[in-house]
Amino acid sequence: MFTRSQPVWGHFLAQSPTRSTGFSGSSQAATGRAYPNGNPALGYNPPGVRNTDSAVPLHRSKPVMHDYACDGPAAGSLSFRWTYGSNVAAKNRDPRVQVVQYNEDTFVLRQNVCVHWEAPFTYLLFGNKGALLIDTGATANAAHYPLRETVDAIIARWAKARGRTRVPLTVALTSAEDIAQNQGLVQFADRPDTTIVPKPLALMQKAYGIANWPSGTGRIDLGDRVITVVPTPGTHKDGVSFYDPYCDLLFTGDLLFPGKINIGNDTDFVASLERLKAFAAANSVKWLLGGHIEMMFVPGKYYPRFATFKPYERVLEMTPNLIDEALEAARAVQGKDMMLIRPDFVLFNGVSPDQRTPIWPEGVPNIRAPHPF
Amino acid sequence: MDRRAFLTYNAAIAAVPLTGAALTGLSDAASAATRPPPIDFKANLPATGTFPDKWICGSSSCMDNTDPPVQVHWYNPHTAILRQNKAYSYEAPFAPLYFGNDRVLLLDEGYVQLRNDYDLRAVVDQCIEDWCRRNGRDPASLELLVAFSHLHDDHYAATNQFADRPNTRYMGLTHEEMVGFWGMTNFPEERVTLDLGGREVLIWGSPGHVVSEFAYYDSYTQILYTGDMFYRGRCYISFWEPWYDSMKRLIEFCGTHPVTHVMGCHVEISKDGEDYAYGMTYQPDEAPVQMTVQQLREAWAYAQKITEPGIYFTGTVFLCNQTRGTTTIDKNPYRY
Repeated sequence: MFTRSQPVWGHFLAQSPTRSTGFSGSSQAATGRAYPNGNPALGYNPPGVRNTDSAVPLHRSKPVMHDYACDGPAAGSLSFRWTYGSNVAAKNRDPRVQVVQYNEDTFVLRQNVCVHWEAPFTYLLFGNKGALLIDTGATANAAHYPLRETVDAIIARWAKARGRTRVPLTVALTSAEDIAQNQGLVQFADRPDTTIVPKPLALMQKAYGIANWPSGTGRIDLGDRVITVVPTPGTHKDGVSFYDPYCDLLFTGDLLFPGKINIGNDTDFVASLERLKAFAAANSVKWLLGGHIEMMFVPGKYYPRFATFKPYERVLEMTPNLIDEALEAARAVQGKDMMLIRPDFVLFNGVSPDQRTPIWPEGVPNIRAPHPF
Repeated sequence: MDRRAFLTYNAAIAAVPLTGAALTGLSDAASAATRPPPIDFKANLPATGTFPDKWICGSSSCMDNTDPPVQVHWYNPHTAILRQNKAYSYEAPFAPLYFGNDRVLLLDEGYVQLRNDYDLRAVVDQCIEDWCRRNGRDPASLELLVAFSHLHDDHYAATNQFADRPNTRYMGLTHEEMVGFWGMTNFPEERVTLDLGGREVLIWGSPGHVVSEFAYYDSYTQILYTGDMFYRGRCYISFWEPWYDSMKRLIEFCGTHPVTHVMGCHVEISKDGEDYAYGMTYQPDEAPVQMTVQQLREAWAYAQKITEPGIYFTGTVFLCNQTRGTTTIDKNPYRY
């Protein structure tokens, strides 16, 4: 989007407004300009501009180094509704990759539900020395899911704003075996200046510098923003979580997210949640951001698998106290083949992902969500 | 005139225009003069026909699906089979459209309600127009009967699209209206005959998946249409005993009537018997919709051994005996 060359008519319109501006009486016409908010065809800082709210600093002589040290979590916001598919999936015209900017150095990307029902979230973090892409989506075909193109555009724009000529990219996965998160990886295979964390467990541990799996931690240095890698197997054998000390976000992938959590190994799952709990006690955590949303905004209700229309989704972010609740629930299902409904997630241990239960959790209001068809 | 007589009453005579008797007589005479001789639906039975080698079966990315909302397959010149696109609804039901000399029967309407989302009405109108053009008929002279196999919304959602269609009758959404539509007084045992104008469709009750369900046998193609009570996938049996009795009726019917194909409403299984989980929108290797009488008999033989609720695979279909709420065939692939 940002890097495409501008059409010729953009300049033409800017120079010769064809609309009569004198008599229409609209507020736009009152400015006497065809583009009251600035011509989008022009660059960020046109020649001669002096005061600007553009992200690009004026009179820059060297790359901008950002100070990532801050008290408490860096400001950021996810106050934008996620695209949620459509009743007739074939007619969906939402963006294939929805980009939400959490703050200047943190982006959240979501795959369109009508491209793939898993609608995974992908995170892009920037530091002074490079960028990190966490997860890669569920679709390999770039025509259906242009993740690489989108990431390239965000990086190019960020690089321009910060005066960089190169931004090395690291691509890491919360689980390399998860086909809902690793399919887009092939799009980055030939990308220059890119490091892809290898898939085999031993090589992955080495890449992160994790000496003791799963008790130790690894790190990814983005330049003054050091991401901690916490081993969290449980839903996947090779599961890891990422902690960003700048925004105080914990990216938990498939381990803990507002949805149907399919436990791969319940002993590992409990141990990982315990480790995560200890980690959250030792580090400031604002939110947990998982890989998907499957819950509705009414407690304990969730969308079935393969749903391509989810208009009543829960929000993505989870507060760290949900680790305690997840741990409690995980201990309750440990060693048993059962599913357990909690208000913000559902655990499936040893049962099919389509398992249903007549047991409704006590004390949770049972609200019937609207069912459109 | 009782309901059944009304139903089988010749539509051309029943439709009395408001323009007066004399004019009607004239137009009747005119149409009788131009109307080609009726098609003989009773010779050379069964009428041969073909199913497609492969139905349109969704796409890996739903929003990139460019297939039509409804696939129209002409089984033979007087029989169309419609299928909803998987990217419009994962249920993707199959819907036969049977043409007779006087009326047309549409069985099942798919899982999307609105015409601007899913224009089933236009597709059916186009089929009727095509058939009329091929056979030298006026589409207005054909009555359309909009019915469905059973009372589930993935089979009747689009019925409303036909509410304002002239010369059309559609089935109501209650058990009483459904049974009354076919003029039955003794559901499910009673078998009634619907005359489409030289082409007879036998209809009887087939409860088990739900209470309100019918089996339809077209005497022209000799296709037995079994709805959701028996189809190539997960037959959700809500009520075992009525289902068992319905199966028995189907088997007995096959003993006394020639049946070319047994056809259900959905396909949820691959050619190798792999289950396509509930809700999937892409079934690249799906099994054919039509089954043989032999497959029905095998399932019946299997069903006779079933004594407990559970999921059973007969080799053709999954019999999900009273497991609707917890039907779970596939597993978590990441378990370790």
